[in-house]
Amino acid sequence: MRLIICEDKSTASKYIADYLIDRIKSFAPTPEKPFVLGLPTGSSPENVYKSLVAAHKRGEISFRNVITFNMDEYVGIPREHPESYHSFMYRHFFSQVDVDPANINILNGNAEDLEEECIAYEEKIKRAGGIELFLGGIGPDGHIAFNEPGSSLRSRTRVKTLAYDTIIANSRFFDNDLNKVPKMALTVGVQTVMDAREVVIIITGPHKALALQKCIEGGVNHMWTLSSLQMHPHAMIVVDEDATLELQVKTVKYFKSIEQVATAQGFGQALASEEFVLRKRDSVLEKLDSPKSPTSKSFLAPPKPPLARQITPEFVPDSMHQRVVEQPATGLGLDGMEMKELPLSSMHTRVDSGSA
Amino acid sequence: MPMAVSPERVRTGITRLTGGRLVKGNQLVEQDLWISSVSGKILRSQQVFYEHQVVPDEVVDLQGKILAPGFIDVQFNGAFGFDFSAVPEDMTEYQKGLKRLNRYLVRTGVTSYLPTLPSQRAGVYHKTLPYLGPSGGARNPLEGSESLGAHCEGPFISPSKNGIHSVEVLQEAPNGFSDMKACYGSESFPEDGKGPISMITAAPEVAGIRECIPEATRRGIRFAIGHTEATYEQAGEAIEQGATMITHLFNAMRPLHHRNPGIFGVLGKADGKERPYYGVISDGIHLHPTTVKIAWAAHPDGFILVTDAMKTVGLPDGVYDGMHGDRWVKKGPLLTREGSNTIAGSSATLIECVSNFWTWSHASIPEVIRAVTATPARMLGLEKIKGKLDPDADADLLVLEAQQDADGKRTLKVDQVWKFGTLVHDASDEQFGL
Repeated sequence: MRLIICEDKSTASKYIADYLIDRIKSFAPTPEKPFVLGLPTGSSPENVYKSLVAAHKRGEISFRNVITFNMDEYVGIPREHPESYHSFMYRHFFSQVDVDPANINILNGNAEDLEEECIAYEEKIKRAGGIELFLGGIGPDGHIAFNEPGSSLRSRTRVKTLAYDTIIANSRFFDNDLNKVPKMALTVGVQTVMDAREVVIIITGPHKALALQKCIEGGVNHMWTLSSLQMHPHAMIVVDEDATLELQVKTVKYFKSIEQVATAQGFGQALASEEFVLRKRDSVLEKLDSPKSPTSKSFLAPPKPPLARQITPEFVPDSMHQRVVEQPATGLGLDGMEMKELPLSSMHTRVDSGSA
Repeated sequence: MPMAVSPERVRTGITRLTGGRLVKGNQLVEQDLWISSVSGKILRSQQVFYEHQVVPDEVVDLQGKILAPGFIDVQFNGAFGFDFSAVPEDMTEYQKGLKRLNRYLVRTGVTSYLPTLPSQRAGVYHKTLPYLGPSGGARNPLEGSESLGAHCEGPFISPSKNGIHSVEVLQEAPNGFSDMKACYGSESFPEDGKGPISMITAAPEVAGIRECIPEATRRGIRFAIGHTEATYEQAGEAIEQGATMITHLFNAMRPLHHRNPGIFGVLGKADGKERPYYGVISDGIHLHPTTVKIAWAAHPDGFILVTDAMKTVGLPDGVYDGMHGDRWVKKGPLLTREGSNTIAGSSATLIECVSNFWTWSHASIPEVIRAVTATPARMLGLEKIKGKLDPDADADLLVLEAQQDADGKRTLKVDQVWKFGTLVHDASDEQFGL
């Protein structure tokens, strides 16, 4: 797990927004290979959305081929109610960027059959290819999405009754009237979030400090459902100084030093796309599977004597007729035949190369 | 197989207006507005986005300018040389002239209006009223401004408060409502209330008129008090009978006297229900600026700005033929009878009147704009579809630029006009227009 400690809420939000933009850009989404993004609601991610909108307006990022899945939605309030999560997402994000509405997925709290809605949602995630990055926040009771304390850490998208704490926390959006706050919600499960390839959580403010401490320094515990993040291979939690108030000094120092060292060594820790990782893996497998060339285990060979060349005698050019002794004519029936000697002369006296 | 949706989409006819300051209630709000050129209405953008998964075809950046509902002028007699009460030999000429007026008028920011007929003989009403009824049925933006029904200003008015109306054509109604029917034509009063007349101005003290008030209002026609010698008490009675509007307050009526408050007195009544709407001509000629301010302060919810313009509005300065053989001299908003200083009427455009009011009153921009949008819409009973920037209202919009000079003069300028969700005028583009 990476724990990024930023100075304050706005720095933390900007960090996450920049990280998201980097991730989407290096993924380079296309219609055939879209970037599937999980999104939260709440006051913590509000500034993240602000930064993303600002970056989009500057032309730095397009969300054209991004498919979104939101974490949750209240049951029983109209979709156009100003406090519904549909309205939140429209107001803070979708109305100001270029996400295609056909690529937006938010649970429908007014569906006729809520269980069917949840099953369909899980299926839609599967069909989109799984979530590449799930962005989330945390509740003061350590919950991720609406997975309240006691939720199974293997849970999937389902209907949940909200904990009393959550209802109180949310009443500030409903005129501080507890009776107006919806009592049930549809939410993705803990395991649904954990199935994402990467999870990024924003935790800011002193009121979240205890939850952060329980989820990082405590064990995996269904009373603090975010602690399941400890089992995720690529989790990142971005916090501000206030949120670290309950952590041990040792923990804070450790995580800060990791980031410092990584930056100093130029060792990027951003998660590369699945494609890239698979390609790397393929090339490693190739290398392991290729036939072994006989390595010259030279340290086992006997010492070779130095080869010395024999001295070549000096070459004395002579003509053949001096070495070959003339044989007198023998009784070979060749009497009467004169053996005339060929006049040896060099070619150049016979051929005029000048006139060739 | 994951598949993000292809960028090639069917055109939806939706325009998104962004980066502007919207007039909402008493505030300027920075917000987007989605309008449909297909339905001609303002959309519920979030609902359309999620339910129908549509995105706007076009995004218009208003660059911080003001976005207001289209203006509604409930009283003027003609424009661009066309006079509603001038009856030609061939009524097709009348029709053509009317269509031309609609196209030119919309450029000045007036997207809906009540064509006004001053006191005339019955024949004029019989001939013209069939053409002056509500014209927005086809919801065609290319027609330009839309009539919301005729305003019959007379002839049942007081002979001593006739203004420039000819005294010879004035009438009383001794037979009550049947006299009105005879004058305006009985076809003008169908039982279903969908006739061509939207408003009648009459003097309640004229014989027989008081009994006509409920007859008119029963048929969905607004009754306005004007050109009258009525006292404060008579005006109060007329309001109880159902009158809801005062025509050009202060002009052609008794002035405010501290013991005889006259018509102006009804603005002071305590109970909101009894206080009528009232039109005010703020061309700087008919009323003193401070009079306008005092009226507004007394009853801002009923304050409606009108032009009462004559047909010379929109024309260049010069000399023109007036009514009844007069010659008129137009100089900017001022219109006088040739050879004298008598005011012959008004030639100010509504946007000029609005700018004047803003300069004199220092009211906020939303309050100023309300006087020509939400308030007249409410007076006409059209508050659901006209005069506001809310979903389901007609997308008649103005993009305005607000300027303040060093000497305190404030002006609103019309930059763009949208009618039924379509751009019909752009000040920055000379060639563009209907």
